[in-house]
Amino acid sequence: MADRSALTVRDLVIAPGASAVTQTIASGEIVGLAGLDGHGQELFLKMLAGLAPPLSGSIESAVPGSSHKITGFRGAVASGIAYLPRDRRANGIFPTQSVLDNFAVSTLSRDTRFGLISPAARKARYDAYREKLSIVAPRPDAPITTLSGGNQQKVLLARALALEPAILLLNDPTRGVDVATRHVLYDVFRGLAADGMGLVILSSEIEEILLLCRRVLVFRENEVAAEISGEAMNTDSVITAMFGRAA
Amino acid sequence: MNPRLLVRARGMNPRLLSLSRSVGFAVVLLVILLAVNLILSPARFTPGSWGALVGLAAPLIGAAIASTPVILAGRGGIDISVGPLMGFVNAVVIQVLFLKAGISSPLLLVPAALLIGALVGAANGFLATVVRIQPIVATLGTYLILTGVTLTILPAPIGPAPAWLKALAGPWSILPLAVMFLVWWLVRRLPYYDQLMAVGSDDRAAYTAGVDVTRVRFIAYVIAGIFGGCAGLMLTALIGSADPNIGPTYTLIAIAAVALGGVSLAGGRGGVAGAAIGAIDIFLLQSVLTTFNVSTFVLQIAYGAILVLAVMLTALQERLAMRAR
Repeated sequence: MADRSALTVRDLVIAPGASAVTQTIASGEIVGLAGLDGHGQELFLKMLAGLAPPLSGSIESAVPGSSHKITGFRGAVASGIAYLPRDRRANGIFPTQSVLDNFAVSTLSRDTRFGLISPAARKARYDAYREKLSIVAPRPDAPITTLSGGNQQKVLLARALALEPAILLLNDPTRGVDVATRHVLYDVFRGLAADGMGLVILSSEIEEILLLCRRVLVFRENEVAAEISGEAMNTDSVITAMFGRAA
Repeated sequence: MNPRLLVRARGMNPRLLSLSRSVGFAVVLLVILLAVNLILSPARFTPGSWGALVGLAAPLIGAAIASTPVILAGRGGIDISVGPLMGFVNAVVIQVLFLKAGISSPLLLVPAALLIGALVGAANGFLATVVRIQPIVATLGTYLILTGVTLTILPAPIGPAPAWLKALAGPWSILPLAVMFLVWWLVRRLPYYDQLMAVGSDDRAAYTAGVDVTRVRFIAYVIAGIFGGCAGLMLTALIGSADPNIGPTYTLIAIAAVALGGVSLAGGRGGVAGAAIGAIDIFLLQSVLTTFNVSTFVLQIAYGAILVLAVMLTALQERLAMRAR
């Protein structure tokens, strides 16, 4: 499955005056997005997710069998792109709802029997992901706010994975997550890539990107300042590119 | 009280706990008020007259249930046109359909009332979610329009109501209430319900989770309208005639009942059962004060005081619960 492209970005312009981005994200690949905060990497990720409209250019997903242009968020989800938002408290969890409800909200129709929700089916589906992500949640029907930050994040990841996406977009997925949980998440990400999912990870921590990715796009002033991969990818080269000095 | 709770109650499950916590105050108040009523006017509260009492309380319970879905949908969602909608349904069913057009069959009048409700709800929903006027302003517009239209088609009270409808006044008023609860119980089992609560809990998160926020809120207004139409029929049954001035008085009391019943006006918390208990509380309070022969002005003061107190206590409960965690 090595180089089958899953997501193709053509001449994408993030901000006025910035040069266009053309990229291909292959399935089974983990691509990192780095850059100083506010240099366009988050906007780029949101455009991939269909949450922000690009100024020009196109994004196309090539799920086996068909290819779709991404024009909106719902369309992106339908063509196999899942997005894990950055600010868990503001954009992720539903504080008044239970762990189960938080998990199932994106994939409600999969638990229905004759149009009505089957709690047993939902529980079974959740249990599969709880196992996979080793979520520590004593009671799935307790409010999600009773969980630790790391476990809340795992529930959100389970929500995104439940969509069974071909491409997973992660916006700083380990922010505010404890070290032990981080390593669980890293293993999960690697496992997903090995199973053929394409992952795009935006991270504010360079170590994380070096650990997970074989290729990193470094953003500066709303354009890709450098694409670094393989041996050339190390803390120094990434930081140099972030600050816009010649490598 | 709520079938889903019974189904889900394995031991003391946390959701049951949190629900009992949020409606807890309303239930306590219910018991107290019931006891006071039984002591003050035992004759009025003998088991034999409970049916009649349910009939008296039914329209308010219906109005409270109708006000709930939109409030659950959050972000300032509120439908203050429920009361005038009840008056409008009352006027149209009696004056236009029954007296002028001679239609008396429940098979036509009930769907007509529900359809009127659904259309008004859809109009509210369109204004509040598609045009994005603030819900309170949008439904205030509907409130005024409906009040005016009702007075235009029915300047003065007129009667009577069809016999079958009047028969729904006493103990049988439990029937439309039961239907409303059954419908809501079914809604709770639909994927829609989870989306509604998600939207009410945090609409940005709901959007990022792929929920069509606008559609969910729009449907909440339509459900409110249909329930409002049903409440209008219950009002018609109770007064056995058409009166253009009664409907609008239900709006604010219904919202007070919803708040009293532990439904968060910020959305995403509470349910129809709580709203109904809140409505019964208000009815019983009314009953206590009437025994003392106080004026209706004092009644208003009491509603206001109880409402503020209830919301404060609910907030306090929540804060204590958070700290306990």
